[in-house]
Amino acid sequence: MNLNILIAGVGGQGNLFASSILAEYLINKGYQILAVETIGAAQRGGSVVSHLRVSDSDLYSPLIPAGEVDILMGFEILEMLRNFELLSTDGTYLLNDFKDPTVLCNMELDTYPSDESIMAALQKSGKKGYTIKATECAREIGNSLLTNVVMVGALCQLSPLFNSQEIKQVLAKKSPSKVREQNLKAFEAGGLLLQKATKAR
Amino acid sequence: MVSKEYLMGNEAMGRGAVEAGVKVATGYPGTPASEVLDYASKFPDVHVEWCINEKVALEIAMGASLCYSRAIAVMKHNGTNVALDFLMHLNYTGVRGGLVLISGDDPGGISSQNEEDSRIITHLDAHLPVFDPWCPQEAKDMVRMAFELSEKTELCFVVRPVMRVCHARSQVKLEEIATISKEPLFEDDRSRFIMSAVREPKAGGVLRPVLRHKWLNSKQPELSKIMADSPFNHVEEGEGSIGLVACGIGYAYVKEAEEILGKKFPILKLGTLPLPKEKVVKFAGKMDKLVVYEDSEAVVEGMLKELLYDEGIKVEVVGRSGFLPKEGELSTKVVLASLATLYPELENLIPETVPLEIKIPIRTRTQCIGCAYRGLLHALKLIAHKTHGVVTGDIGCYDAGSFLPLELQSTIYCMGSSIPMATGITYSGSKQPVFSIIGDSTLFHNGILGLLNAIHNAVDMVVIVCDNRTTAMTGFQPHPGSDTDISGKPVAAIDIAKLVTAAGATSARVINSYNIPEVTKALNKAVREKGVSVIVASSPCYLLGKRTGEIGFTPQKVSLNPDLCNGCKICIDYFGCPAIRFGDGKATIDQATCVDCGMCIAVCKRGAIT
Repeated sequence: MNLNILIAGVGGQGNLFASSILAEYLINKGYQILAVETIGAAQRGGSVVSHLRVSDSDLYSPLIPAGEVDILMGFEILEMLRNFELLSTDGTYLLNDFKDPTVLCNMELDTYPSDESIMAALQKSGKKGYTIKATECAREIGNSLLTNVVMVGALCQLSPLFNSQEIKQVLAKKSPSKVREQNLKAFEAGGLLLQKATKAR
Repeated sequence: MVSKEYLMGNEAMGRGAVEAGVKVATGYPGTPASEVLDYASKFPDVHVEWCINEKVALEIAMGASLCYSRAIAVMKHNGTNVALDFLMHLNYTGVRGGLVLISGDDPGGISSQNEEDSRIITHLDAHLPVFDPWCPQEAKDMVRMAFELSEKTELCFVVRPVMRVCHARSQVKLEEIATISKEPLFEDDRSRFIMSAVREPKAGGVLRPVLRHKWLNSKQPELSKIMADSPFNHVEEGEGSIGLVACGIGYAYVKEAEEILGKKFPILKLGTLPLPKEKVVKFAGKMDKLVVYEDSEAVVEGMLKELLYDEGIKVEVVGRSGFLPKEGELSTKVVLASLATLYPELENLIPETVPLEIKIPIRTRTQCIGCAYRGLLHALKLIAHKTHGVVTGDIGCYDAGSFLPLELQSTIYCMGSSIPMATGITYSGSKQPVFSIIGDSTLFHNGILGLLNAIHNAVDMVVIVCDNRTTAMTGFQPHPGSDTDISGKPVAAIDIAKLVTAAGATSARVINSYNIPEVTKALNKAVREKGVSVIVASSPCYLLGKRTGEIGFTPQKVSLNPDLCNGCKICIDYFGCPAIRFGDGKATIDQATCVDCGMCIAVCKRGAIT
């Protein structure tokens, strides 16, 4: 068994928490884990990519090799597109429909790609995937910072490797008490979003 | 049963030091190595300290080692340069208690100003033994063993992890924490610990530096013997006569390539410098060609060529000197591409990657939303523009002011360079006013020396100290201006304004960087003064303040009146807060990301933001 998950987002979106929830659950299940974050120099606002590799045998490179990503989670649209090349031919993407404009886009020196061109490029890639409004959902629950947990909730519907009930227990354990209830709510909401997206296909 | 913990490489190395019974752990924060000390700080028996800079950190560690205590100093490659002067002496004197230097490298310059390979200064220059780990477990094992070997050989051992090892997370085996029974005691040995050009009576008047150099050289055969049997080097059998020499992280990528290609290559896995000579000779002797995979310079490649030449073994050795890319970080992709040139039949086994047919805008770094530095950078940009001034920059969060939109700083080199470079600009005869912008931690680290030099020489310049009370960029480590240490214990905070006043600065204005009119007024006054005028732009880091409850502004909801906005873009091009968006000729506030700092109100000259 080998599974490579890549989480692409922007600093402050909570890649690391999402990755650590999954890692702890998978370690409990007896798998080997190799993970790494690639972060630039800034605390916030830069591209952040988390690699999470799961296996029942030895793992070597902490970075998932190009073309070997099984599940590509995009917490932000541009960041997912930027890493799309790493997705394997039969890989799946899970995209949060959320745009964080870049400095250069705001200056009108660059153009954030239009929804139509994004859709067209994704379709042309021939890769399968789902787009959900995780940030919008997180805001409805009370805080856009819950985006990562909504996305993890959605991810858990994508692979039989993930048992939602057990992951919820890990989530509850790892959540600070102040946000535990909201996290669990966000997790469930994410699952429902993906179920809806699956039906819509 | 062996217990395991899910640790990042840095934490694993901290664990290795703790298990080895380390007594003193010092360092200066720097990506990729910062979290080593954070881990060690959880153990109350270890004295853990973020020091003013890396040289001081290494000197403190050495002081402890001289009393037979085990000590570790942790830094990134740039920091090892700072500590190099001291390193070039402790290699001659040797150590007493185990002394380990962790020098974290950043191939690819992902979070650094350069992609220097610190194996060069630590091994080829200082002639110290170096361990180069490939994964968190090996990094921990290496640190632990480095302490033992350091005591055995009386030499400082260097562990050189690259960023991918520092930041990788995996399950790491925990072992017992050793108890060191030796009582700390300083005993004199002036022939070793007084490093001076003095003639040594006991050695017939030979100069001490020559004598100690000889001692260091005499240690090399002992090191070679240790590395010959080291568990960190091994050979793996495989097909063909092209041997893959996999050094440090290179081993991870070579093994990954094997998995992808479903093929076994002859592999010489290396993790030590000096090299295990016999293993190398035996392996090379069976090969027609060796390909050396290492980050990031052709260090082992060069050493292999020398060794094999001396041994009279004719084998082609290629690697980072040209066969592989000379710049950038190693990856599975690089290994696969190189194997495909050696074995064209493997080409079709390499996973296909097709780029998306869409232009993806790059994401440049900027200040966080709510960062006080944005107001400061904005005000400084306008004044530098007005006065045709030159702004020299330094290392820290505020360096993002040098990128678009502000493009404020004109130079950024290494820690502390801003003030001396500005000094040189005035000496050149240029009539441009000069401003240096430097952070609090960076000022203490090395900047203070350039500042004292400028004050002493009455250089006309404005020095802006970005004082957010923490080393924010690397994860909020305390510095000498902070009032608590790594463990949260209260310590004396050094007051920057008092310090520079005592040194004789023309002025030392302490201002709140969120207050743009106040910043502007202070800059306008300072630029007209003679001598060194210091502005301490003080306000806590917003990200840290959100955690501690100490933020530098009173939150106020801002709104933008579209009827008053004429699309001049001053808020975009001269301020650039990501919570201000621009489209259809007008600016808007993105309330979802705005943190209500209210700084932009002063930026808009038309009063559209209230």
